[in-house]
Amino acid sequence: MADQYPTLLQCMVPATALKVLLWPAYKSTDFEVHRNWLAITHSLPLREWYYEKTSEWTLDYPPFFAYFEWLLSQTAQLGDRGMLVVQNRNYDSWQTVQFQRATVILTELVLVYALHLFVKSSSPNSKKQAHAAALSILLSPGLLIIDHIHFQYNGFLYGILILSIVLARKPSGLFASGLVFAALLCLKHIYLYLAPAYFVYLLRAYCLGPRSVFDVKLANCVKLGVGIIAVAGLAFGPFVYYGQVQQVFSRLFPFSRGLCHAYWAPNIWALYSFSDRVLIYAAPYLKLPVSSDAVNSVTRGLVGDTSFAVLPDISPRTTFVLTLAAQIPALTKLFFRPTWDNFVATLTLCAYASFLFGWHVHEKAILLVIIPFSLLALKDRRHLGAFRPLAVSGHVSLFPLLFTAMEFPIKIVYTVIWLAVFLLAFDRLAPPSEKPRVFLLDRFSLLYIAAAVPLLVYCSIVHQLMFGARYEFLPLMFISSYAAIGVVGSWLGFLVVFFTS
Amino acid sequence: MAPPPAHRPRKKRRSEPSTTTGTITADQKPAFPFAAFFWPIKGINTSPWITLPVILMTTFLFRWTSALWPYSGMGVEPMHGDFEAQRHWMELTINLPVTHWYFHDLGWWGLDYPPLTAYHSWILGQIGWLVEPEWFRLYLSRGNDEAGLKVFMRATVAVSEYLIYIPAAVLCVRQLAKHHSVNTWDSSIALTAILMQPATILIDHGHFQYNTMMLGFTLASLASLLANRRLWSCVFFVAALGFKQMALFYAPAIAAYLAGSCIAPRLDLPRLFGIAIITVTSFAVLFLPLVLGTAYDVYRNVPLPSDATLPPLLASLPSWLVSEKGWLHPYALQLCQAIHRIFPFSRGLFEDKVANLWCAVHTSGLQKLHTYPPSLLSRAALLLTLASILPPCALLFRYPRKEILLKAFAATSWGFFLCSYQVHEKNVLLPLLPMTMLLATEGGMGKGTRAWVGFANTLACWTLFPLLTKDGLRIPYFVLTGLWSWLMGCPPFGFVTYSLPTTGSLEIEGTRDGDVVGEEGGPDVVSEILHLGVYAAMVGWHVVEAFVPPPEDKPDLWVVANVCLGAAGFGLCYLWCLWGVVEGSGMLYDVGLWKRRGGEGGKKVQ
Repeated sequence: MADQYPTLLQCMVPATALKVLLWPAYKSTDFEVHRNWLAITHSLPLREWYYEKTSEWTLDYPPFFAYFEWLLSQTAQLGDRGMLVVQNRNYDSWQTVQFQRATVILTELVLVYALHLFVKSSSPNSKKQAHAAALSILLSPGLLIIDHIHFQYNGFLYGILILSIVLARKPSGLFASGLVFAALLCLKHIYLYLAPAYFVYLLRAYCLGPRSVFDVKLANCVKLGVGIIAVAGLAFGPFVYYGQVQQVFSRLFPFSRGLCHAYWAPNIWALYSFSDRVLIYAAPYLKLPVSSDAVNSVTRGLVGDTSFAVLPDISPRTTFVLTLAAQIPALTKLFFRPTWDNFVATLTLCAYASFLFGWHVHEKAILLVIIPFSLLALKDRRHLGAFRPLAVSGHVSLFPLLFTAMEFPIKIVYTVIWLAVFLLAFDRLAPPSEKPRVFLLDRFSLLYIAAAVPLLVYCSIVHQLMFGARYEFLPLMFISSYAAIGVVGSWLGFLVVFFTS
Repeated sequence: MAPPPAHRPRKKRRSEPSTTTGTITADQKPAFPFAAFFWPIKGINTSPWITLPVILMTTFLFRWTSALWPYSGMGVEPMHGDFEAQRHWMELTINLPVTHWYFHDLGWWGLDYPPLTAYHSWILGQIGWLVEPEWFRLYLSRGNDEAGLKVFMRATVAVSEYLIYIPAAVLCVRQLAKHHSVNTWDSSIALTAILMQPATILIDHGHFQYNTMMLGFTLASLASLLANRRLWSCVFFVAALGFKQMALFYAPAIAAYLAGSCIAPRLDLPRLFGIAIITVTSFAVLFLPLVLGTAYDVYRNVPLPSDATLPPLLASLPSWLVSEKGWLHPYALQLCQAIHRIFPFSRGLFEDKVANLWCAVHTSGLQKLHTYPPSLLSRAALLLTLASILPPCALLFRYPRKEILLKAFAATSWGFFLCSYQVHEKNVLLPLLPMTMLLATEGGMGKGTRAWVGFANTLACWTLFPLLTKDGLRIPYFVLTGLWSWLMGCPPFGFVTYSLPTTGSLEIEGTRDGDVVGEEGGPDVVSEILHLGVYAAMVGWHVVEAFVPPPEDKPDLWVVANVCLGAAGFGLCYLWCLWGVVEGSGMLYDVGLWKRRGGEGGKKVQ
């Protein structure tokens, strides 16, 4: 059992072939967003990057990502220079498409390398499981849909995240892991959601002694602190120098957005909104007051203030408090038992908490949960039981991202293949758990998975036949509510697994 | 030498760990990447309800993503391309009376395929009309390049293929597996390799055609032959012919086999009559809708189009049939017109640049063929074609054994492709089909056969390259061809099939008690050198084609080079298949060149 087949590289070949074939596929406005950033970073001096607003898609990622775009633009200028002009809005010549799509594929090599390290670093008797998990991430339908059709650079970013997680596996790698994560934060700040777990783990495992909490390792503290400040300095230094910090941060954290994204991410707030919609009809019987101006606004999907008709409104503060409250138990456990497995589990739980309770969460953020969880899913059958509904609901919730006829079969067929292959493989590979299973999650999850079929049939075919273009929000609402049930269910399941093991 | 008994007890091969097709190397590793992808389910009892759908869905993904790319004639004025032809046939079959189908405007993609294609177009057109009538308005929708129409048309190809070709391929692979005692795991790999064949995907889902319908019927016919259901095989083969006349490439081989199986081991007249009756009936059924439609139009007094000219064929019929007054006249007219459209004898020897003998001889400057009278040329083509197909067909007739069926089919269709006239470059799909099916036979994925199948497929795709470039399918060509040859372990991305002399691996095998059968039998030195030479030339050609513009006075030079090398390579494939037929038929034993018992040593000679 020295080698596992197919190897990572072997899987990469057909996957890459498929991704290249997807070049002419539908691409979202994110394509234009990134094209615009290429143009901004290439044609403007650094001073103006975060002020430029010719296009509505202003630069709202941290500086390292801007530098990354600048690097890409150095190659881009060898080809079609039209893509590097800020005024060329919605420019998508075939060369531009080829170039941008190719950069997504090439930068994804970071992910391949990180996964390779992950498999290499796992113990000999869990190699097989680690290999399967690595393949499942490499071939993830989430990455295919978001990166290679919709267009983003998640493969690259999650590659860095996994690199950092894998580095943290050995005590000697903790410092590097911290720096890599700091760099990742400077690439895309969505990973701030995971920062509490990193903070606690590095504090406990790197800055404090293994025996006692009071055994502070000062040298390590200084080293890590200086390292992180250096990384942050590299990223934000120039903007500090120009005195633009406030402008940069106002771009990074636009608090003016609403609670739910245009399409509800499958979280608590989706269920909350769904209940509100249902209550509108039930309110007269229950004698509840209905705010009439909210009735028409909630599901219209406009980005802005979300108001509820029956249920109380939610403020950003509430979501923040709830998120933190949901993270603290796991962080506490990590603090007292700082093992690598607990670290990954806490990362997953932090991601869950922020996805479920966060303010203005995108459906794409579900990868933040799925990917760290994949690393643990094969630990034993109990973990797998919690992972299964997430794998289904998380990917189903991404389907509305692609709505064109040509891409419809691609997203469905690819996801079905992935689910069939990996859920069956995981089922075969997951070792029995040491502790007895707590509750009968399996029946529930089987039923849940089966329910996806009629739901998708309704949303993609029946609804249109019945209503045509009317009630457009209904299928979306059903999908996000369905997916929310799965995500919440798997979260509860994982909480039980985590706190009882 | 007798054909195997009709019913052979099923061998319990499935439980055996060893394999006979060459998917595993001597040190128990997957022999090529295709096998690696099936490694996790090796030796595990996996339900076919899982593996088969996953294979079919995966192959679908590559088809559908190829369909995202442009099709032939997309946005190319004035004539557009095959896509427009197919759309136009849908338009004309649903809007015109049946009697007009074969008479309608030849200039704009006139219907020149057999009736099954027309019926198929009619069905698809009816469905399309429900979706969006604007796509199929007579005259008005010509050259429509709407995105929605593209999705619809692409979907019709995929659905047609998944209804006909894919089930037929699955059945055929199963029959071959049963016949050759190949285990399920190996035949799953073979099936995937067959379905991922790049040329078929590129032509049908990229360029746009419905070849897989015809190929699918052919496979169904083959599967029926293997299952000893000769009558069904006649039905399916008539369907193949009725979909695309190019299925004629296979006709001599299938006729030889059927005739042979009626004569050997003993004369079986009922079987012969059965075959004859079923074939004639199938043809009758094939033309029945056309005849019924004609009857209906006669009843309604629908006149022929004003610009209709009588087919010359009609004049050669007996006068009682053709007299204007006779009630048979309209039917004879329709059938003659259909045949006239389907077999346009008046066209040239070859079209465009195709990698067959004639084109190679002509363009390479050996002989400028247009200096000869056309009648002489077509006679020469006929004679040469007959000469090339005679050996495989005669052998198949004399030794109607299932073992040589695929190679005989391949040799016959290579003969046609190389020597007959009116050949398109896309017709290379026909000889490729039986040749690729060899993967599913015993030892089919051993180095020898795999090397040849890989060689033929890569070369075929390469000869399609000029066409695909015109369609804007360069990238899918490189991706799909490269992917497939890598998966098969063939050059230019893998050299496992050509790893060093076979004596070395035989030694290893000796120490391991020869438990791995598929390891031996790599290609012999001569074919190894030829293959590698051709591969090197193909790679070199791509480099030159990409970076060096052709000389001003010879703008087609690169294409000519492509055609000449292609024709030579296909000639090699023909010879290899022919040799396989000779070897497999057992003729050499009968003639006395090989000794029956010690024949194994003799095999190594060539």
